[in-house]
Amino acid sequence: MVNFLTYIINGALTGLLYALVALGFVIIYRSSRVFNFAQGEFVVVGAFLVFSFLSVLDLPLWLSLILSFGISIVVGLAIERIVLRPLVGEELFSLVMVTIGLLIFIRGGVLVIWGAEVRFFPVVLPMEAIRIGPLVLDRALVIGGGITILVAMLTSWFFNHTRLGVEMTAVAEDHQIALSLGLSVKRSLAIAWAVSGVLSTMAAIIFLNGKGMTFLASDIGFAALPVPLLAGLESIGGLLLAGLIVGLSIGIASYFLDPIFQGGVMTVFPFVIMVIILLIRPSGLFGWKTIERV
Amino acid sequence: MTLPAGVHAVTYTQDQALIRTPKQWLCFFGFLILLLALPLFGGGKIIGIMNVMGIMMIGVVGLQITIGYAGQTNLGQSAFMGVGAYVCGALALQFNLPLWLNIALGGVSAALFGAIFGLAAARIKGFYMALTTIAAQYIFSFVMIKLPKGWFGQAEGLRLEPASLLGWTFDTDLGMYYLIFVVALIMIYGAWGLARSRSGRAFVAVRDNDNAAEIIGINVYYYKALAFFIGAFYAGVSGGLWAYYIRYIQADQFTLWLSVWYVGMLIVGGLGSILGAIIGTVVIRILQEFITYIGPQLAEIFPHVGGQVVFASMNMLLGGIIILFMIFEPRGLVHRWNIIKESYRIWPFPH
Repeated sequence: MVNFLTYIINGALTGLLYALVALGFVIIYRSSRVFNFAQGEFVVVGAFLVFSFLSVLDLPLWLSLILSFGISIVVGLAIERIVLRPLVGEELFSLVMVTIGLLIFIRGGVLVIWGAEVRFFPVVLPMEAIRIGPLVLDRALVIGGGITILVAMLTSWFFNHTRLGVEMTAVAEDHQIALSLGLSVKRSLAIAWAVSGVLSTMAAIIFLNGKGMTFLASDIGFAALPVPLLAGLESIGGLLLAGLIVGLSIGIASYFLDPIFQGGVMTVFPFVIMVIILLIRPSGLFGWKTIERV
Repeated sequence: MTLPAGVHAVTYTQDQALIRTPKQWLCFFGFLILLLALPLFGGGKIIGIMNVMGIMMIGVVGLQITIGYAGQTNLGQSAFMGVGAYVCGALALQFNLPLWLNIALGGVSAALFGAIFGLAAARIKGFYMALTTIAAQYIFSFVMIKLPKGWFGQAEGLRLEPASLLGWTFDTDLGMYYLIFVVALIMIYGAWGLARSRSGRAFVAVRDNDNAAEIIGINVYYYKALAFFIGAFYAGVSGGLWAYYIRYIQADQFTLWLSVWYVGMLIVGGLGSILGAIIGTVVIRILQEFITYIGPQLAEIFPHVGGQVVFASMNMLLGGIIILFMIFEPRGLVHRWNIIKESYRIWPFPH
């Protein structure tokens, strides 16, 4: 029973982590309609930035965090300026395909700069486990869950209640119409990519805190995809609920199925959920109903 | 597409011919003979490169049908290839069927697997499709490792005997070269025909505007699923050849990463053209081989990257190329080639 509870609670916390990764993804989608395949690489870049400043250069924690967030903003803006801006006004297809190029390029870049061996991510959040009675919880994930809830609510408020947020939403609806109304597609894209960079770095800290990591940590970018999908790709508030649902179902599925398949269910189950969502309710729980259906 | 000056079609057969002028026939046969004779003056290394290129080319041509013609984003081509390889390998090990039947059955099972994920296209479109194919990729590697050991050998994979057909045994690179050559020729010819057929035109209609396609009487669901079916069939055939060439199959060989590379080859070659798929595969494979070749020098320049230097620089190169092509030449190399051909035909006039 305790074992089962641990699976469930850890599942829910992992779900919230996925929601944070997904948030970076949704912000880009929601303000530009670009499906960013390179989201996982963003997480890895953020992780290696924190690692470099904290473990290699031995800077104090606050300075390394400021520098890492600052550089991830710069990276986001640079990508927007160099790669996406020339494509504004082109077919959406090109904008998305170019993120596949980014995915490949950033992975190569990470390897060239930081190499492929396993590194130990510094301990940023406290490591000791939280014990509630017989339950043992990962403290980083619990803190991360709190951060995710806070950030998601802030972003949701931003998109629904500020002028800039609503303008960015309008850009996502249709680039052409937004341009003709005098809204800046470029600015919308730039803000989205910068914020997404910061969120990915945050997710990296929570995800990898005190663990070993390689460039392959970027797989979380794909594993987190069912969460925004369940929420409906445009919904930010819905991400939290979707994260919890996806996390819980992964937890429950691994509890019951792991003994049958000798482990590994956790890596594949997100994708099973993804296919199920796509087949049953492609617009997700709270997505705009304008989803292009055939 | 203009024809060379003075070439007119008098009959329908002529109008539909792929090769029209004596010079084109000359070039075509010259090219075939060149390829057939390549082993005479190329070393073993070149044959190896050509073999992998040929196998991948079949997969990329299939992907061209799914993505380039029907407009269905597919990031699972290497999983489909893997299904073909596994099924082909398992059939070869357990039932001793003839070679051609093995490869065909591998192709069909890959096609069915692909069509299952393509069925999602009945409800969604655009980049949602890419998601189901990413899922296909992960589900594939999980399932192949977890199925009973007697089927696909779990984590150890399958080991195959050399292929044999009509008393020939394809146990050398050279033998495989001719086998791959023949299969690739058939498959590419088929793709060329398909692109010009009713189905090919329906694919293009669905890609360009599916509402309009529906209104002029094209069954959109059917053609979307068909695009996946055919694309995955090509992947399966290329997987079958891969199985016989490497003679060792393991789920790790068919990663999401390989699928991403395939899409990269398409973008570089040019979407929506069979020739584009061929050019893309050849160019990217040559670049890959080139980087592998200069790998030791690269390792000296970036010592801290270690053994991964080839992989790393290949990724940076391909990623950079895709980005540059999307920005500056979104129609790919084949577009450039068509411009050159056109200017040659109408020379000395500018248009």
